[in-house]
Amino acid sequence: MKAKMGFLVPVLGLFLSAPVFAHHSFRAEFDSTKPTEFVGTVTKVEWFNPHARFYIDVKDETGRVTNWNFELGSPLALRRQGWRQDSLKVGDQITVECYLAKDGSKMASATKVTLADGRKVFSGSSTDGSPTQ
Amino acid sequence: MGRGAMCALSVAVCLFVCAFAAFAQGERGAITGAVTDQDGAVVSGVQIQAVDVKTGTIYKTASSATGDYTLGGLPAGTYELSTPVLGFRYRQQNVVVQAAQTLRIDIQLVDTSLNTLGEDRAFFAAYESPRATPNAATPRAPDGKPDLSGVWSAPRIVDPERPNMLPWAAAVIKEEAENYGKDFPRAHCLPDSVTMLGRFSVNRVVQTPTFMLFLNEQDVPGYRQVFLDGRGHPKDLDPTWTGHSIGKWEGDTLVVDTVGFNNKAPINWLTVGGSTPHTEKLHLITRFRRPDLGHLEMEVTFNDPGTFTKPLKMKAISDLVENDEVQEWICNENNQDLEHLVGK
Repeated sequence: MKAKMGFLVPVLGLFLSAPVFAHHSFRAEFDSTKPTEFVGTVTKVEWFNPHARFYIDVKDETGRVTNWNFELGSPLALRRQGWRQDSLKVGDQITVECYLAKDGSKMASATKVTLADGRKVFSGSSTDGSPTQ
Repeated sequence: MGRGAMCALSVAVCLFVCAFAAFAQGERGAITGAVTDQDGAVVSGVQIQAVDVKTGTIYKTASSATGDYTLGGLPAGTYELSTPVLGFRYRQQNVVVQAAQTLRIDIQLVDTSLNTLGEDRAFFAAYESPRATPNAATPRAPDGKPDLSGVWSAPRIVDPERPNMLPWAAAVIKEEAENYGKDFPRAHCLPDSVTMLGRFSVNRVVQTPTFMLFLNEQDVPGYRQVFLDGRGHPKDLDPTWTGHSIGKWEGDTLVVDTVGFNNKAPINWLTVGGSTPHTEKLHLITRFRRPDLGHLEMEVTFNDPGTFTKPLKMKAISDLVENDEVQEWICNENNQDLEHLVGK
């Protein structure tokens, strides 16, 4: 983005402020430089605090199946946006955009979940045209 | 003095005033730029503030629909530019504005929640946005005191003072920031704040003439109690995470005095900085007002000579929540994150 006027101020001191988050710092656990996408089948949904979670089986090119664990916000936050624990169901075929865990475990923070028919789940308000409730 | 002379004098005075005003305006500077996220996408509606380091005066604006912002009318001086928005992180110190100068500073936000579904940017922005509230007078209890009872939104911090930290405390904050706060008590499902109202959830206030109860949804232990029956603080307090609170009315203001803290719970009311340490010397004074039906005002003084060079005062507002309740929060039920919080 180009500057419209003036000049950039030299950064004399950039204060590293502490992160702000609902339960824990996501950057302490997930790698923001590793946005990743998975396609798989939902095997389990956990609707517990402090984070709701879902798990999917992902098949690689050799046919080997790996189960991945995806973190969402809290069930309280999701419910207030209209989502429910059956908004995503075992057996659903989904595409997940996410950030991988830093420690190499089969965990990730989900930023977009798309059902096979194109509907988005857990994104924005469930009343904004997303039929899954 | 004749009419013509009077008229000439009036014109002269007017010209002088206008010229002075123009001169004064010309002395002012501005900071302008665009707000983007780490992917380069513009971010609208982000609150941006410049704090005059010398006077403490705060200048505020918000990014437009196209992500642009301008902080105008700034006297020449040194500023700290920041975005006091939950879920984002940006702070730049030592921004020097010269007289009649327009600085260009593009702000690239760090999204601290990584836009996780359910707790994305819209979720965090909601905490900083006032809710629609009913317009009516302050309700009063049978004893004539303002009745602070109700379900209240998470406090929105207004007019934040910049803390003057002792070196050890500043070092702790810096270390926590570099480690992305991996050891914060909240991540361990331990108490999140020394304040009466939780920063991240709705709270219920229950008021009686002699006792007040605060129910905090997403905090541990989930309640704070304040004794209004005239008792003092016990002499032999064991230090605890949330301390011991007594209160008394000064007119329509409830003044709550809290002591007896251990040094474990953070001060999480600082809009940028997330969390601040304290010592067992912490003495908290919270002044509650309900100016009308829909708002609860809080002025909190954090007095801790072991942490701050002078008492830190902060103001916050909660909005009345009419269609929601405090929900159950069993944080430890599925806290899988703990073993995966690696920090840097």
